Amino acid sequence: MDTERERVIPSKYIPEKGSHVEAIDGKEYLIANDAMYTFYQRTKGEFSAFFLALRDEKKLLGCKCLNCSLVRVPPFLTHCPDCNFAPTELIEVEPVGVMNTTPPITYFATSLFQDMAPYGRGRVIFEGADTAMSVNLYTTTGILVPGMIKKGTEVKLVFRDRRIGEMTDVFCVPTAELSPEQIKRKGLQESEIDWESPVEPAMPEVTAEDSARYRDAYAEMRSIIEDMNRNERARKDIAGWKREVLVKTKGGESTIFIDDGDIRIDEIRGLSPDFVMVCEDPRTLLDGLAYRGAITDAVINKRLWISKNTEFTTIFKLDRMARSVARSRKTS
Amino acid sequence: MAKRVGIVGAGVTPFKGTWREKTYYELAQMAAREAVKDAQIDIHDVDAAFYGIYNDIFERAAIPEHAIHGLLGMQDKFGIRITNGGATGAYTMSAAHAYLAAGRFKTALVLGVEKATDCFDFSSMSATPEVIKSIGWSADSFFEQGIGWSASDSYAEVVLGYMDEHPGDLKPEVTARISSQLSQQVRDNPYAQRQLDQVTPEEVMNSRLVVYPFKELEICVYTEGAAALIMAEEETAKAISRKSGHPVVWITGVGEANEHSFAGKNQKDMTRIMSDYYASRRAYDMAGIEDPTKTIDIVELHDAFVHQLEISMAEFGLVPLGNADSLIEDGLMTPGGKYIVNPCGGLIYCGHAVGASNIMSAWSARNELIKRNLKTALVHGTGSTVAQYTVCLILEHE
Repeated sequence: MDTERERVIPSKYIPEKGSHVEAIDGKEYLIANDAMYTFYQRTKGEFSAFFLALRDEKKLLGCKCLNCSLVRVPPFLTHCPDCNFAPTELIEVEPVGVMNTTPPITYFATSLFQDMAPYGRGRVIFEGADTAMSVNLYTTTGILVPGMIKKGTEVKLVFRDRRIGEMTDVFCVPTAELSPEQIKRKGLQESEIDWESPVEPAMPEVTAEDSARYRDAYAEMRSIIEDMNRNERARKDIAGWKREVLVKTKGGESTIFIDDGDIRIDEIRGLSPDFVMVCEDPRTLLDGLAYRGAITDAVINKRLWISKNTEFTTIFKLDRMARSVARSRKTS
Repeated sequence: MAKRVGIVGAGVTPFKGTWREKTYYELAQMAAREAVKDAQIDIHDVDAAFYGIYNDIFERAAIPEHAIHGLLGMQDKFGIRITNGGATGAYTMSAAHAYLAAGRFKTALVLGVEKATDCFDFSSMSATPEVIKSIGWSADSFFEQGIGWSASDSYAEVVLGYMDEHPGDLKPEVTARISSQLSQQVRDNPYAQRQLDQVTPEEVMNSRLVVYPFKELEICVYTEGAAALIMAEEETAKAISRKSGHPVVWITGVGEANEHSFAGKNQKDMTRIMSDYYASRRAYDMAGIEDPTKTIDIVELHDAFVHQLEISMAEFGLVPLGNADSLIEDGLMTPGGKYIVNPCGGLIYCGHAVGASNIMSAWSARNELIKRNLKTALVHGTGSTVAQYTVCLILEHE
C-alpha cells in the first residue's frame, strides 16, 4: 500500500524550511517558504448517515420533505426551508440518473487535483430525486472530451473499491458504456468495469516522404526550443521542473529534456523517459511549440497521445512556454 | 429619508501578477494615499473604513484588516471587513453606501486589497495551481470541495447550462473577439497587469482549454493590488467637490442578490445567473431607471470569464437572453457601439485582485464618466460558487 496516500497532506506538497532573495530594480526582497495549516477531526454530523451508507452499504440516500415531498440528494437538511421547516426523512434513491446540465471538464486543475485531471464534475438528478448531486464524471474509454457527456445523458453511480465516507467514494460514467447487468446492479464497483487501458497508438509504415517531413519538423522544433531556452519568461515556466519526454512521430523519434529552466530537444533517446508522446504528424507538436494551436488541445482532440494523463501538467508548461515566447516577441 | 451618497476620490495601485516589493499593508496604504490625494482631504477627515478582502488564505491572516486600520490612520474609528467571494469589492461599496445613506457617517474610506500570488505550489513550482487551490476552499466543504470544485469549473457549469438552453449563443469566434477587444482597451490603462498584452481573436481561439469551455485567454488573471474610494454623503460630498474641483459621481442605485448554492427543483436555475438579474433590477429601481438600454452608457462588468460577461449583459437586460452575441455581431459593444464595456480592460486584462477588483471597476467607471462626459454607468461584482452572488451599482455623473 502506498502509505504516502494515507497522509492528510502528502509530503510532495510540503516545502522545506528556507528562504531566498529576489532582486528587483537594484533592491533585494526576502521571500520565505511558509504555510498556514490547521488540522481537524471534523464531524459529518447530520450527513453521517449519507456518508456511512455510501461507504458501508453502497447506497445513495436523500431526504424527503414530509410536507411538499421534495427529495433532495444529497440529504442537505433535516427540515425543509420551503415548508417553514417541516421535517424531512431519509430515503434511498436509485443509482442511475441524468445530467442536469452539460458538465465542465477540468484540464488544468488546482494543485490538489492535478493527479485527477482531466476530470468532469457535474450535477446528476438521480431517479427518485428532485435536486442534483455534484459528482465526478469519467469515461471508460480514455480521456473525457467535450460532447461525451451532455445535458440529459444517463449516467450510473459507481463506487470506489476503497471507500472512506467522502464524496470521492463515488463517481459516474455514462450508462451507454455499461452492460444492462451493470446498469441494473446496485453498488456497482469500479473494479467491475472494463477500463480501456492506455495503448500506445501503432505507427503506420514509414515512407521516405515521412522521414523528410520529420527532418524538416525536427529542425524547426530544435530552433523553437533553442528560442525558448534563451527566453527568460519561458525559462521561468519550467523552473523547478524536470522531465524527459520521448516523442514518437511517423518519420522519427526524439527526446525533449526539461531541467529546471533548461529545455532542449535531441535525437538521442533518454535513458528513462517520464512519459511518451506520440503524434503521427510531427507538425502537430511543432505547431503547438510555435504557438499555432495548443498542444493540450491536440491531446484532447486525440491528434497527440500521451502515456500518462497526469502529465497534462507538462503539456501545459510547454503550451505556456510557447505563449511566453510569442508574448516576448510582441513586447520587444 | 436616505441621504444621497457619492464618490469624491479614488485611487489604485498598479495591478501586477506579483508584488515582491510590497506586502498587503503597503499596497493598502498606497491606494488609500492616492484616494485621499484625489479627494484633496486629510485621512483624519474620514469617519469610517470599509475593507474588502476576500480570502484569509491569500493574506495569510484570519483578521487581515486589523493591522491595516491603524497603519492607515483610522485608529479609534469604525472599521469593518466585508468578504463575499468575488463580489467582495462590490459588497464593500454596498455596505459603505448603506452606512452613509443612513447618516451614520459623513465620509468613508472603501478599500479593497489582495495579495494572491504569495501562494505557491511546491510540487509544480508555480503559483497558479496554489492560488486556485486556495479559492477551492470556498466551495461547499461536505459535498464539493473534495471532488475538484474550482471557481472556473463552477462558473463553467452555469455557462454550459446557458449554452444548453441557447445552443447558438456564445459562439467561440465571438468570445474570442470580445477578449481581443478587451486586450485593445487595456492599452489606455497604465495600472493594468496586462497593459501590453494585446491578442488577436485567432490567438484566443488557439489558446489552450483550461476548463471546458473556457480557454486560457478568456479567463481573468490573478493579481495583486489595491483600490480605494472616498465616499461621502451629499452635503459633505459637495463640499469636498468644491474644494477638489472633481465632480461628485453619485451612487444612485444599489442592488444585491445571492442565489441558492445547489441545483435542481426549487434550487438554482443553472441556465441563468438570476443574481445578476435581481441585483440589476433592484439597482435600476432604486436609480429610477425604467429602460436600461436607453440609460446605461458604460458598464464596468466583473468579467471573470468572457462567456459570463455575455450572460451578465443579457441578465442586465442590455441584450436579449439567447442573443448575447449581438454585443459583437450587432456592434453593441464594439468601438463606437451603444455600450462602453470594461474600458479598463476588465478583470481579464487589468487583472483580478479579488477584494480590490470591483472597487477598481468603480474607479474606472468614475474616471470614464468624467473624462467622456457621460451620465450613467453600471458597476458589477459577481462571486461565490455558480455565480451565486451579485452586486450592481448605478453611478451617475451630473
